[in-house]
Amino acid sequence: MARLRAEVLVIGGGATGAGVAWDAALRGFDVVLVDRADLAIGTSGRFHGLLHSGGRYVVKDVVAARECVAENAILRRVIPQCIEDTGGLFVTFEDNDPGYGDRFLAGCHTAGLPVEEIPVAEALRMEPVVNPAIQRAFIVPDAAIDVWKTVWSLADGAVAHGARVLTYHKVIGLHTEHDAVTGARLRNELTGEELDIDAGFTINASGAWAAQIVRMAGIEGIGVIPGKGIMIGMNHRLVNTVLNRCAMPADGDILVPIRTISAIGTTDIRAADADEIPVTQAEVDQMLAEGERLVPGLRRARALRVWSGVRPLFQDEKAGGAEVDTRDVSRTHAVVDHRKRDGIAALLTMSGGKLTTLRLMAQDIVDAMCEQLGTDRPCRTAEVRPPRNEDGRYYQVGSRLAKREARLLDEQLICECELVGRERLEETMRARGTINLDDIRRQLRLGMGPCQGGFCIYRATGILHGVGRLSGAQASTSLLAFLQERWKGVWPILYGDQLRQARLDDWIFQGLLDVEHLPETGTGAPAALLEEEPIPA
Amino acid sequence: MSRHDAVVVGAGLAGLTAAVRLAEGGASVLVLAKGVGATHLSPCTIDVLGYDPEPVDHPRDALRRLVDARPDHPYRLVGADGVAAAIDWFKGCFADGPLSPYAYAGSVDENMRLPTAVGVLRPSAVVPETMAAGDLRAGGEVCVVGFRALKDFHPVLLADNLGRAAGVQARGLELDVSPEDRADVNALGFARAFDDASFRARVIGQLAGRLGAGERVALPAVLGIADPHAAWRDLEDRLGRPVFEVPTLPPSVPGMRVFATLRERLRRAGGRVILNVVVTGAERAGARIIAVRARVGLRDAVHEADRVVLATGGFASGGLELDSGWVARETALGLPVAGVPAPGDSRFRPGYFDDHPIGRAGVAVDGDQRPVGPDGAPAFDNVTVAGATLAGAEPWREKSGDGLSLATGHRAGGLMLAESGAHAGPAAVGMGG
Ligand SMILES: Cc1cc2nc3c(=O)[nH]c(=O)nc-3n(C[C@H](O)[C@H](O)[C@H](O)COP(=O)(O)OP(=O)(O)OC[C@H]3O[C@@H](n4cnc5c(N)ncnc54)[C@H](O)[C@@H]3O)c2cc1C
Ligand SMILES: Cc1cc2nc3c(=O)[nH]c(=O)nc-3n(C[C@H](O)[C@H](O)[C@H](O)COP(=O)(O)OP(=O)(O)OC[C@H]3O[C@@H](n4cnc5c(N)ncnc54)[C@H](O)[C@@H]3O)c2cc1C
Repeated sequence: MARLRAEVLVIGGGATGAGVAWDAALRGFDVVLVDRADLAIGTSGRFHGLLHSGGRYVVKDVVAARECVAENAILRRVIPQCIEDTGGLFVTFEDNDPGYGDRFLAGCHTAGLPVEEIPVAEALRMEPVVNPAIQRAFIVPDAAIDVWKTVWSLADGAVAHGARVLTYHKVIGLHTEHDAVTGARLRNELTGEELDIDAGFTINASGAWAAQIVRMAGIEGIGVIPGKGIMIGMNHRLVNTVLNRCAMPADGDILVPIRTISAIGTTDIRAADADEIPVTQAEVDQMLAEGERLVPGLRRARALRVWSGVRPLFQDEKAGGAEVDTRDVSRTHAVVDHRKRDGIAALLTMSGGKLTTLRLMAQDIVDAMCEQLGTDRPCRTAEVRPPRNEDGRYYQVGSRLAKREARLLDEQLICECELVGRERLEETMRARGTINLDDIRRQLRLGMGPCQGGFCIYRATGILHGVGRLSGAQASTSLLAFLQERWKGVWPILYGDQLRQARLDDWIFQGLLDVEHLPETGTGAPAALLEEEPIPA
Repeated sequence: MSRHDAVVVGAGLAGLTAAVRLAEGGASVLVLAKGVGATHLSPCTIDVLGYDPEPVDHPRDALRRLVDARPDHPYRLVGADGVAAAIDWFKGCFADGPLSPYAYAGSVDENMRLPTAVGVLRPSAVVPETMAAGDLRAGGEVCVVGFRALKDFHPVLLADNLGRAAGVQARGLELDVSPEDRADVNALGFARAFDDASFRARVIGQLAGRLGAGERVALPAVLGIADPHAAWRDLEDRLGRPVFEVPTLPPSVPGMRVFATLRERLRRAGGRVILNVVVTGAERAGARIIAVRARVGLRDAVHEADRVVLATGGFASGGLELDSGWVARETALGLPVAGVPAPGDSRFRPGYFDDHPIGRAGVAVDGDQRPVGPDGAPAFDNVTVAGATLAGAEPWREKSGDGLSLATGHRAGGLMLAESGAHAGPAAVGMGG
C-alpha cells in the first residue's frame, strides 16, 4: 500500500479546509489537503454567495456580527478578485416588528458596522424592482463572493507553498497511537485504491461530516444535525445590491446578485442525512412566494436552477447538547480540542462558522495546533494575497465579456451563455487532469447559463474525448453523469422559459443524439471513468 | 383585418403540411407563426417510431401494436396507413420542389439505423437521400470526417462509439478546413460553403489518399443548402464511394431544406406565411371560432377564418406553457391542456431518464382532431389540432417527432378539405378551384 507523510493532514476541501491549508502552508508547515470529492463540492459549493457585512447578525448575535465586520474588510483586501463589491441593502416592511429598524441601527453601531440609512425613494431608485411597500432602507458593505475562485485560489496558494492536494480521496479511517492521532487511511474514489498517510497533526474540517471523522478515532458524543437550506438562481441580475429583509433571520429573506444571475434563499429544515438533501416542490413554492414579497414579479423571471446545502448543527453531549432550531445557534465557530475533550492529541475539529469567516476560522484552528505543538508561528493570511488576487482589484461583472470581445474572431466559443472559449476549456481540462465534465463545470461555470448545457455539453464531451484521449465508453459515462447532475438542479423549478429550455434539451440529447442508447456505458460511477491513465497534468 | 378559408397557427412541419394540403386543395390559407418552428433545429428525418421501448425494426407493425396498447396515443388518429399516406405525400413534395432532385428515401415498413453525432445507431424510417448511406444495419466501414471549426460535430467521438456497434468499423478524421479559414463556423455557414465547388474541392483535396478502399464517408449534415443534391453527388463521384450526412446540433441544415420546400409549395398554391406573429386568442360564435387575434410587435390584428388549424408545437416551441403556479395553458387559443399533474403532485422525477408524469401533457382531441375539454366534449367545432401540441406521446423518447407532426398535419389538412367540400356554403368560395 502506498504511504504518504505530512506534518499536517487537513480533512475536507471546502472553504474551511482550503483556508486551513493556505494558513498552515504559509506558516511553513508541510500540508496535505484531502477531500472525498472535488474541492468545494460540499456545503461550500452550495451556499448563497454572500460575503456578510454582519448586518444579518447585529440584533441577535453581536459576536458573530463583529467577526463578520472584521473579516469582510480583510477578505476584501486579500482576495478582491473573488469578490464583487455589490454593497447591501436592508429593507423593512410594515408587517415586520416595528422596533426592529431601530434595534438594527443600534446593533450596527455596537458591532462597529458602517451603516447608512437612506430615504426609501433613493433605495427604490437604486433598486427599482424592490417592493415599493418598504418602510426604511439601510446600506451596509455586503458583497458577493465566488466560492470556487476563493477555494481554488487558497488551495493553489497552499500548493505554491509546498502543500499537496488530493481530491477524490476519502478518509476511511484514522490511525491512533498512544492517545494521539497519527494519520489516516484514504481511499481513492476513482480507482478504489487505498493509501495510508502518516501525519504529525490532523485537522478535521469536514463540516457536516465532522462527526463521522471523529468517530473513526473512537470519539463519541459529538453529533451533527444537518439543517438544509435551498436557494433558487434566477436568470437575471434582478438587483445589483444584496437585498436583505431587515427582520429576524427567516426563510427566503435574502437576494444575492451573483455574476449575471441572482439567488433567492434560503430555508432551514432538519435533514436526516447530509448526503441526501433533495429539494421538494413545496420548498420551491415557498421560496418563490417569499421572493415575490421582496421583489414583486420575481416569479415571472426565469428560474435557472435550484440547489441545497446543509448547515452543520453541532451537538456536543458533553456540553449539554440541548436541541435547538438550527438557525438559532450562534453562527460563530468553535475549535474542538480533542486532547482536552477526549484525551486524544494531535486532532482538532472545526465546528460551525460561515464562509465569510473562513480566514479567521483557519487562523484560530492553526493557532490551536501551534499551541499544542508548542511552536510559535504567526498567522499571515490577513496580509498575504493568494494567487490570482495580486492586482488588488475587485471582480466586476462583464470582465469575461470584455476579455472575449478582444478575441472574438480568432477563437471558438464553446459555451455561449458563460462565454467559455475552446482554448480555456482545453487548458482547464489539461490542468485539472480530470475526465469528469462536472469538475470542469464548477471551474468554468460551463453549462450553468440559461441553456443549461444544451449545446456545450456535447461540445465539451467531444473536446474532452480528444484532449483526454478517453474511450467512447468513458466519454459517454461522463456525459450521462453530467446530464443527471444538471437534471438534479433543474427539475423542481421547471416552469416558464426554463421548462421550454429543458424540453429543447430533451430533444437535443434524447431526440437528436439518442444518448439514452449509447453503447456500453458504465453505471455513472466515477470509477468507470478511470479505466485508463488519467490525463497527464 | 383579413379573411381566409383557413388560418393555420404554427409554421413547423405540422402546420406547413396542413397548409400546403389545404392550399393545394383550393383553400385560401394564411399561416401565422411566432417563429419558424422545429424544422430549423431538428434534422427532419421522419422518425415514425424508433423505440417501443425496444428498438423498432418494422414501424408499420409496431404502430399497430402501439395504437392497440395505448388508445390515448396520437398515432391512433392516423393509424399506420395514414402515416404511410403522409409519407408518400411528403416525398412527392420534393419531386418538383425548389431543391429537386433532392429527395427523401425509406418507408414506414422498415427502420434504418443511422448514426447520431455521438455515434448511437438510431432508428429512422424516412430520411434525406443524403443520409441514407449511413444505414449501418448490415455493418460496414466508415470514415467519419469533421471540421475543427464546426464545434457541433465531433468525428472522433462519433467514430469511437460507432465502432462499438456490431459489424461496424469506424475511425474519425478532423480536418482543418473552414470557410474563410474562420475558427468558429456553424452548420449553416458550412452548408453555404459546400454549395461552392471550390470549397468542396478543398475538402476532397484534404481527403486524397487518406481513405481506405472499403470505407464510406460520413460528414456532418452541412452538404449544401441551395443545391444539396449536387453537392452530395459531387462528393460521392469525386471520392468514388458512398457519402452520407450525419445530423449536427442546431441549426439544422436538412430541416431548413424541408422548410424551404414546403414554404415554396405553399407560395405556389397561393398560401401565405407571416412570421413574428403571436396568436393570443380567438373570437368565437357559439362553438366556432370566427377570427383569431394576433400580435405583431405592439400592434394587434384580427384574422377572420372559417377554420383554424392549431399546430403550435409543445412546450419546446411555446405552444404550451406552464406558469410558476404550475398551471398549464395552450398559448394561442387558450385550449384546455390535459395530462398536467395538479399543483401539489409531482411533475418530474429525480432521474433524468425516468418516466416523468408531465411527459405526455398536451391538447386532448377527439377522433377528428378537434380539441376537447376535460369532459371529452369538443371545445370548438372548426378547430383541428396537429403536431407536437397533441397530448399522449413523448416523441423525444419514442423517436416519433416528425412522424407524428407530418402524419397528423397531413390528416388535419385532409379532414378540413373533406368537410368544406361536404358543406360548401359561402364560406367555401374559392375552395376546390
Ligand atoms: C444554505 C446555506 C447557505 C449559506 N450561505 C452562506 C452565505 O451566504 N455566506 C456565508 O458566509 N456562509 C454561508 N453559509 C455557510 C457556509 O456555506 C459554510 O459555513 C461553509 O461553506 C462551510 O465550509 P466547510 O469547508 O466547513 O464545509 P464544506 O464545504 O462542507 O467542506 C467539507 C468537506 O469535507 C469533505 N468530506 C466529508 N467527509 C469526508 C471524508 N470522509 N474524507 C474526505 N473528505 C470528506 C466534503 O466532501 C466537503 O467538501 C451557508 C450555508 C448553507 C447551508
Ligand atoms: C433540437 C431538436 C431535434 C429534434 N430531432 C428530431 C429527430 O431527430 N427526429 C424527429 O422525428 N423529430 C425530431 N425533433 C422533433 C420534431 O422536429 C418536432 O416534434 C416536430 O417538428 C414538431 O413540429 P410541429 O409542427 O408540431 O411543431 P413546431 O415545429 O414546434 O412548430 C410550432 C410552431 O408554432 C409556432 N407557435 C407556437 N405558439 C404560437 C403562438 N401562440 N402564436 C403563433 N405561433 C405560435 C411556433 O413559432 C412554430 O412556428 C427534434 C426537435 C428539436 C427541437
